[in-house]
Amino acid sequence: MSITLDQVTKRYQGVPVVNDVSLDIGDGEFFVLLGPSGSGKSTLLRAIAGLSGVDHGRIALHGRDVTHVSARERGVGLVFQNYALFRHMTVAENIEFALRVRRMKGADRRQRRQELLRLVALEGMDQRLPAQLSGGQQQRVAVARALAHKPEVLLLDEPFGALDAKIREELRRTIRQVQRELGITTVLVTHDQEEAFAMADRIGVMNLGRLLEMGGPNELYTRPATRFVATFLGAANLILGRQTKDGIRFGERPVSAISAVPPHGLREHEVVAVVRPEEIEVAPTREALASGYLARGAVDEIVFTGALERMRIRLDGGADALTLAYSNGDGNPYLEVTRTQHEQRAFEVTKGQSVAIGVRRVHVLPTPLSSFTVCAANEALMIALAQQPMLVELASRMKTRISTRMEPMLGVPGAQCGDATAFSGTTVIASQPDVAHQAEWLLQRGADEVLVLPVNALPPQRVLIHWADEAVRSATLAVSASVLRHVSAEAVYIGILPQLTPTAQRPHGMRALLDARSEAQAVHGLEMRTELRFGDVAPELRRQLGESPGQMLILGVCDVTRLAEPFGSLLESARWPVLLVRRENRENEDSVP
Amino acid sequence: MSKFRQPSVLPGFGLTFGFTTFFLSALVLLPLAALVLMAASMHWSDFVHVVLSPRAIGSYRLSFGASFLAASINLVFGFIIAWTLVRYEFPGRKLIDALIDMPFALPTAVSGIALTTVFAQNGWIGRYLEPLGIKVAYTWIGVTVALTLIGMPFVVRSVQPALLEVQRDLEDAAETLGAGRFYVFRRIILPTVLPALLTGFTLAFARAVGEYGSVIFIAGNLPMKTEITPLLIVIHLEEFDYKGAAALGFVMLVISFVMLLTINLLQAWGRRRLVHSTR
Repeated sequence: MSITLDQVTKRYQGVPVVNDVSLDIGDGEFFVLLGPSGSGKSTLLRAIAGLSGVDHGRIALHGRDVTHVSARERGVGLVFQNYALFRHMTVAENIEFALRVRRMKGADRRQRRQELLRLVALEGMDQRLPAQLSGGQQQRVAVARALAHKPEVLLLDEPFGALDAKIREELRRTIRQVQRELGITTVLVTHDQEEAFAMADRIGVMNLGRLLEMGGPNELYTRPATRFVATFLGAANLILGRQTKDGIRFGERPVSAISAVPPHGLREHEVVAVVRPEEIEVAPTREALASGYLARGAVDEIVFTGALERMRIRLDGGADALTLAYSNGDGNPYLEVTRTQHEQRAFEVTKGQSVAIGVRRVHVLPTPLSSFTVCAANEALMIALAQQPMLVELASRMKTRISTRMEPMLGVPGAQCGDATAFSGTTVIASQPDVAHQAEWLLQRGADEVLVLPVNALPPQRVLIHWADEAVRSATLAVSASVLRHVSAEAVYIGILPQLTPTAQRPHGMRALLDARSEAQAVHGLEMRTELRFGDVAPELRRQLGESPGQMLILGVCDVTRLAEPFGSLLESARWPVLLVRRENRENEDSVP
Repeated sequence: MSKFRQPSVLPGFGLTFGFTTFFLSALVLLPLAALVLMAASMHWSDFVHVVLSPRAIGSYRLSFGASFLAASINLVFGFIIAWTLVRYEFPGRKLIDALIDMPFALPTAVSGIALTTVFAQNGWIGRYLEPLGIKVAYTWIGVTVALTLIGMPFVVRSVQPALLEVQRDLEDAAETLGAGRFYVFRRIILPTVLPALLTGFTLAFARAVGEYGSVIFIAGNLPMKTEITPLLIVIHLEEFDYKGAAALGFVMLVISFVMLLTINLLQAWGRRRLVHSTR
């Protein structure tokens, strides 16, 4: 491995800007770190270069631990967005800078300089000053300069940001060529997904300091695991559907074109599906569709962009309407559609025309958190809770919807649900006295996750994870990973052993901890710390949560009949949010016809 | 269409150029010409006698020597002050930034008296220097101290904007290329701020050569030892020897002009290497 990052964390004024990033980059690989501004990608690059230290974790280059080695001795080449050329030096002096520092002989320097100038196609420019070169040429000089001392790793920090489109294209090609020719391991940081697709062997997508997903461009585009990656890499329509025994359904309609494994197995639950704009087909009638029928709608907007035609189609309402995970500003459900010239010629549409919509390919996200449903016994509380800042923030980051559900008999033992439909997504209730019984009531009636939310809670900075039973470990980790992708917080798994655990059994506790960590990392892409405590579960968790504000608890439970007794005081404190994750071994029941 | 001219914010080249020449003539050239004329009306032997008298030569040495020394001290410490103000964020930074300009505003006599009080043999600092055998007040050292105080803001204020220009990226780039701190300073930072440093040096030097008010209080004014040329000129004036004063003034003028011209030429040479961006 050329570059190995192990749980690298960098905090700025207490907030993690790079959060537990672990990463292996192979020899000669072209790796692109992609993310929006402020996602921590540049900070991570600077940490690899050694220009800023890390607060936690290790960095190794070619097997050598360089965590505490200065930039000077790391042997990396770095290229900046603004070129950072030394303006008082000629091109030749700029390129030879690293060689002069190393006291290389004049003749050798000249030879190396010629080699590099040939490599970046700038022969004969030796005696120019940077100010006499165009932006693209300056950046070529910067690349040559960064390669002069034969670094083991080349780092590029948004190198094309200041260039116009044509030159950008050309320089991309040059850099890719140089990289292949030298076989040098390269990391490029960018916010431009097109650039990432064009250059990368592998892409790592970052958001809020976390490395969300890694993979080849095609793999990430067609099979994203997270909402963020699905929507950041190109356009995506997010549609809420239901996993049933017979497959995925949108409303009442089964959809045949399906990929990916549903997050909860075959048990019925809500799922989030990604439909790319180019996978949607439009036709005058349902019968004329070559692909599976999805819905009807009216063309609302057509934009011609050359090769492609972009459309927005407003979905018709009604009982069998599609449920979009989120809708545009005015609340109307729109589908984004793109069509090729070829498709346009086959069926020309005009604005306002009613069309049948089909879908060629649907990808189901393996995320367990699909949408939020606010549930309360009275309308005032329900409305207040639906506007709760943390919930609104979380839903907007997750690009999902908050629906409401009135349950007048919430928490009353033995009472039936007021609403006959099944619970979908995460059910949200207000933290108040007796909330433990309400949570119990909901979990017993089919809710999978219940978020107990204090009315004044803010997005957490630290998320504690614990499960009361090993059977819910996997589900809890999946939910935790999903939550942590959308908040800028550190994740800590708290393992708790009884106070009187015999010394001989303590290694088992440690083993369970390490297993949890490696499962989180391998299966869910979640980097988390682990802490082992001794004592009773509920008081210990309560003590941890009470230590500092801004914490949240994700608690996996199996037994939903006696929730109030151990965890009542945890849920009713109204000082921290608690997300309860329930799973029973119901998969077996479900698979029995 | 033939009459089309590039519009400019301030109209009228003729008018503005007229003002420029008028003000330069009225405030700089005419008084200087009068000075030269006055000196020229002297007999050559008289001129040489005044200008090359041992007392005059001693005063040149002190005036230009101390000014040069003071400007050099400012070059180093002014740079450090500017660096501190630009690169670090600390409580009271704004206050210190404002204090820099104080020597501009203070009547020079006041700073002279204040310095004398502090550096006299029984002053706050002077009393500790005395046992070490260092006398500041009433020696050439005192003159240098006064001139340093007067010139310091010039260096700081010229270097500050130039330092802001040195982006951190440049230092980072040099560091990843393997350069040590001193190397980065010598090869990256210094060349970038050198023109500004030289400007600051020139201004501080020019100001020091012409300084009168603060120096006469701390210098002690012993002929041949701590007497600066401006003081000698005043002494000539007090004896109603206007021609002698003009002669000394003329010599100062020539020496100053030669020195400033040299520095300016040096700067122009340096700037040619650093062609400004055309973008």
